Amino acid sequence: MQEQLKAIMARVTEELKNIQDTGALEQLRVSVMGKKGELTQILRGMGSLPAEERPAMGQLVNQTRAALEQAMEERLQVLSEMEKQKRLEQEKIDVTLPGKTRSAGSLHPMNVVLSDLLDIFTGMGFEVVEGPEVEFDHYNFELLNLPKNHPARDAQDTFYIEDNIVLRTHTSPVQARIMTTRKPPIRIVCPGRVYRADEVDATHSPVFHQMEGLVIDENVSIGDLKGTLDTFARKLYGEGVTTRFRPSFFPFTEPSAEVDVTCAACKGKGCRMCKGTGWIEVLGAGMVNPKVLEMCGIDPTKYSGFAFGMGIERLTILKYNVPDMRYLYENDLRFLSQFR
Amino acid sequence: MNVPMKWLKEYVDIKLDSKEYASRMVMTGTGVESIEQTGSGFDHVVVGKVESIVKHPDSDHLVICQVNVGSEVIQIVTGAPNVFEGAYVPVALDGAHLPGGVKIKKGKLRGVVSNGMMCSGPELEIPEGLYPHCGDEGLLIFQEPHEPGTDVKEVFGLGDDVIEFEILANRPDCLSVWGLSRESAAVLGEHFVKPEISVRECEGDSFENYASVEVRDDELCPRYCARVIKNVKIGPSPLWMRAYLYGAGVRPINNIVDITNFVMLETGHPMHAFDLSKVKDGKIVVRRAHPGEELVTLDGKKHVLSEDMLVIADAQNATGLAGIMGGEESEIVSDTHAVLFECAAFQRANNRVTARSLGIRTEASSRYEKGVCPETVMEAIERACQLVNELECGEVVPGVFDHYPNPQPERVVKAQVSRIQNRISVPVPGETMADILDSLEIQTELQDNELTCRIPAFREDIETDADLSEEVLRLYGYEHIPSTMLKGETQAGGRSERQRLLDKVKNALVGMGGYEAMNFSFVSPKWLAAMGFEQGDERLDPVVVRNPLGEDTSVMRTSLAPSMLNTLSLNINRGNPEGMLFETAPIFHKSQAGQLPQEELTLCVGLYGDKKDFYDLKDIVTCMLAQFGISPTVSAGGEGYYHPGRKAVLSVDGTEIGQLGEVHPDIAAKFDIERRVYLAEIKLEAVKALEQPIGAVKVLPKFPAVTRDLALVVDEAVGVGPLMETIRSAAGKTLETISLFDVYRGLQLGQDKKSVAFALSFRAADRTLTDADINHAMERILSACEGEYKAEIRK
Repeated sequence: MQEQLKAIMARVTEELKNIQDTGALEQLRVSVMGKKGELTQILRGMGSLPAEERPAMGQLVNQTRAALEQAMEERLQVLSEMEKQKRLEQEKIDVTLPGKTRSAGSLHPMNVVLSDLLDIFTGMGFEVVEGPEVEFDHYNFELLNLPKNHPARDAQDTFYIEDNIVLRTHTSPVQARIMTTRKPPIRIVCPGRVYRADEVDATHSPVFHQMEGLVIDENVSIGDLKGTLDTFARKLYGEGVTTRFRPSFFPFTEPSAEVDVTCAACKGKGCRMCKGTGWIEVLGAGMVNPKVLEMCGIDPTKYSGFAFGMGIERLTILKYNVPDMRYLYENDLRFLSQFR
Repeated sequence: MNVPMKWLKEYVDIKLDSKEYASRMVMTGTGVESIEQTGSGFDHVVVGKVESIVKHPDSDHLVICQVNVGSEVIQIVTGAPNVFEGAYVPVALDGAHLPGGVKIKKGKLRGVVSNGMMCSGPELEIPEGLYPHCGDEGLLIFQEPHEPGTDVKEVFGLGDDVIEFEILANRPDCLSVWGLSRESAAVLGEHFVKPEISVRECEGDSFENYASVEVRDDELCPRYCARVIKNVKIGPSPLWMRAYLYGAGVRPINNIVDITNFVMLETGHPMHAFDLSKVKDGKIVVRRAHPGEELVTLDGKKHVLSEDMLVIADAQNATGLAGIMGGEESEIVSDTHAVLFECAAFQRANNRVTARSLGIRTEASSRYEKGVCPETVMEAIERACQLVNELECGEVVPGVFDHYPNPQPERVVKAQVSRIQNRISVPVPGETMADILDSLEIQTELQDNELTCRIPAFREDIETDADLSEEVLRLYGYEHIPSTMLKGETQAGGRSERQRLLDKVKNALVGMGGYEAMNFSFVSPKWLAAMGFEQGDERLDPVVVRNPLGEDTSVMRTSLAPSMLNTLSLNINRGNPEGMLFETAPIFHKSQAGQLPQEELTLCVGLYGDKKDFYDLKDIVTCMLAQFGISPTVSAGGEGYYHPGRKAVLSVDGTEIGQLGEVHPDIAAKFDIERRVYLAEIKLEAVKALEQPIGAVKVLPKFPAVTRDLALVVDEAVGVGPLMETIRSAAGKTLETISLFDVYRGLQLGQDKKSVAFALSFRAADRTLTDADINHAMERILSACEGEYKAEIRK
């Protein structure tokens, strides 16, 4: 019996070396340790042994069984790993084939830009407010210190619907509406579509977009305006970007400023984009004219405020180097698909 | 406004070069558009004196000239017939550049050496009127001797920098050389030295002998001054004046007209010169036009006037539009003998309305509508008379007409130093403020922290301490503004409801492959007509723009569909193979007169492509709506511009929230579209109103689901949607999901029949369902479908 066990051990060890797949291994296992397997037969033959030999023989059978199981298990590990590797190799696909899912579209580039602006200003505690595009003359002009026949109205050639109803020429009437209905502190930005009677060309459009901001509180200063716009410029264009204020004129602010930011293309060194000045004009701003506060029912001796405004088209054209304003309203997919 | 630097330097000492000067002006609020040098089109052209002329041996029309060009005498061959010995001519030397990229080189003409070129006026592009006969062909012959070798730019008064200023709307005083000199002096810390004005009048005569003036409307004409010049000698004005005018962009004409233009540019006051022989009875009347009165202006155009317009008339007829344009009849011509100078202030609003309604815009009218100061009118007309003396082109008749019934009172503005400091965030000392204001001719006294400022008449823009603070800050320097952070109550801030709604809609559509489009809000009425709306549809009665740029942009859109069809058309016709575009924008509904139109926020989606169909768009729209927790009922029907069999209305509890469909081929054709395209239009305000908040979560099921398939044969006309509804309600609450997996049509089913197959999944929350449970449910479903649709199980 001992001889038999040795023979099985030797044969199995030899066979294991040659087995190349898990199926054959399983067959071998069944032939040795299955219900009708050789080892099982030996174990059954134990009954015929004298009682005093049984313990020693039993131990020997168990040892052999354990050794066989271990050997088979080891071989199984090796074969499984080999088979897995083979499968993975066979499953190779062409990853350069186009994907199956549909590709995403994109927002209009102006809304990509606007979205950035809104993130920046809402982050600074500004509330987004909107108003009608067709507006009363009263809000669009009168309350903003632009009385009838004021020459500054010429700068904003106006589309009229009725004598006192216009297509708003700026988003400032939203500010006027807020000032006449809310008490300070006010901290708002007003994005929206505006209209001026300019023929369509590479740099003009009768429909365009602005975002204006307004802050009114006690002791608001022009320094706060500069600080706010510096923060805005840094967040939009990156660290190291600052603003430069140049005196200007807007009827609803006093003092007024044109605001330049460090040219993003050359970091202020001077290049073709900024015509060698190192600065790019991006917005207009100023301290709210006390006359405007008064007309809107806010006490100018107690409160002061600042306002600023920027053109979304201009920012978009600068940011993406758009060669012609008409691209923005043509909606050619070859253009729109560049902003995903 | 274009101003030659030399002209400015007559009145203020500018030591900086033009570029630095311009940048100082820009940083203090006077815009500079450009700096250009006059005569920059040529160089190395000098005065030459023709010493001798001999015939060219091999040519009939060429001659050989010896020309003294200062440093040497050079030989030049020319074909100009008007050359003569002793003539002073412009000579382009070897290496000279001429306008149009011409370069002059030594060479031979028919074998004879020629070392330069004698030039005509047009070859040097000398502007007409700058020098006598400079527009003629042939050599330009100087009228007077010049030192040979002199740069001809000196002779023409060229070579000066001209600054193109961009003057802000609140500073009409800077639309003049004097105004800019004053501003420049304040900016540079220099002094503005205005010329002393004195007029030499002739003796023994009087204004009244020539003219009388009557102003009938003080409101529209607050001031009117007039002077008479007699024994006028019309001729060219001197070179320095021509050069200044040319630099400023005004064509020199003759001495009298040039004086009026020169004074306008220098003082900012438009002037007019009348030929008195053509003013009937020498009578000038400033009055409102008679209704229907006709006038032919200098440009030869005939205008019909109204009572709201101010005219300058003689005893009978209007001869000019006050402050806008003179009449044809009283123009100054070469035989004019006596002239009446007019300098006046007209009401700016009225001037502006008149000029606009007649469609005229002149240098004068643009100045009047920006505001001309009445206080300095007299100074301007006296300056003109002084120039008549200087140019010796006439005699100034004693006597001035001056109608100025309501002189402007002096204006005083007081301001607290501390208030200005707070406003500008810069602690400028009171004394410095006073100095700055003084430099702008705002006479200022400082006492106990208070500034008392006497505002000069020409600074109408300064009314409050806010205005003073800007003057102080801009001259002190905007670069001193500190950068501080907002203080005060923290605000929550955030996007508006509308923005959040739009963000959600757009993000959903972008995620499904949509590209956002933006179209103009106004469209052509033809586009609305092309949609085939029924007569009486409110969309055919849009809000109309009263003064549109053109018909294409003349009405506010009442639907986004036409713009989207146009966008699809553009993309299709440019060969973009497929696309999904969307736009969110308000459409405009007309309200009653005097009310703002109602703006309704709308979404329009457009789709086309070889593999796209109605169901793609339906999926896109329902997925977008699912973001809002809305699952609309979809029923056949919709607008007439959709395909009659491929359109649907989306509704929630009977309220329509939108429509979608394939566009009717007839409508598509009107937008040059020759393929199938799909549109969806959704009312976004309704979507907002119907949005379902995300509620408490459902507990995940503990018991298994049981699935069954069901294939029913029904008539072709039976809609799958209603069929599913029937199944759902008949199944009871254990039916968890139902989904369509096949629609089959085939001969064995019979004519006009289809088989519709569903996968049903049942589950109970509290137990495992038995076969009996499911069988009961299936029986209920079958009998309901049989009853409602005569449906049969497919065998």
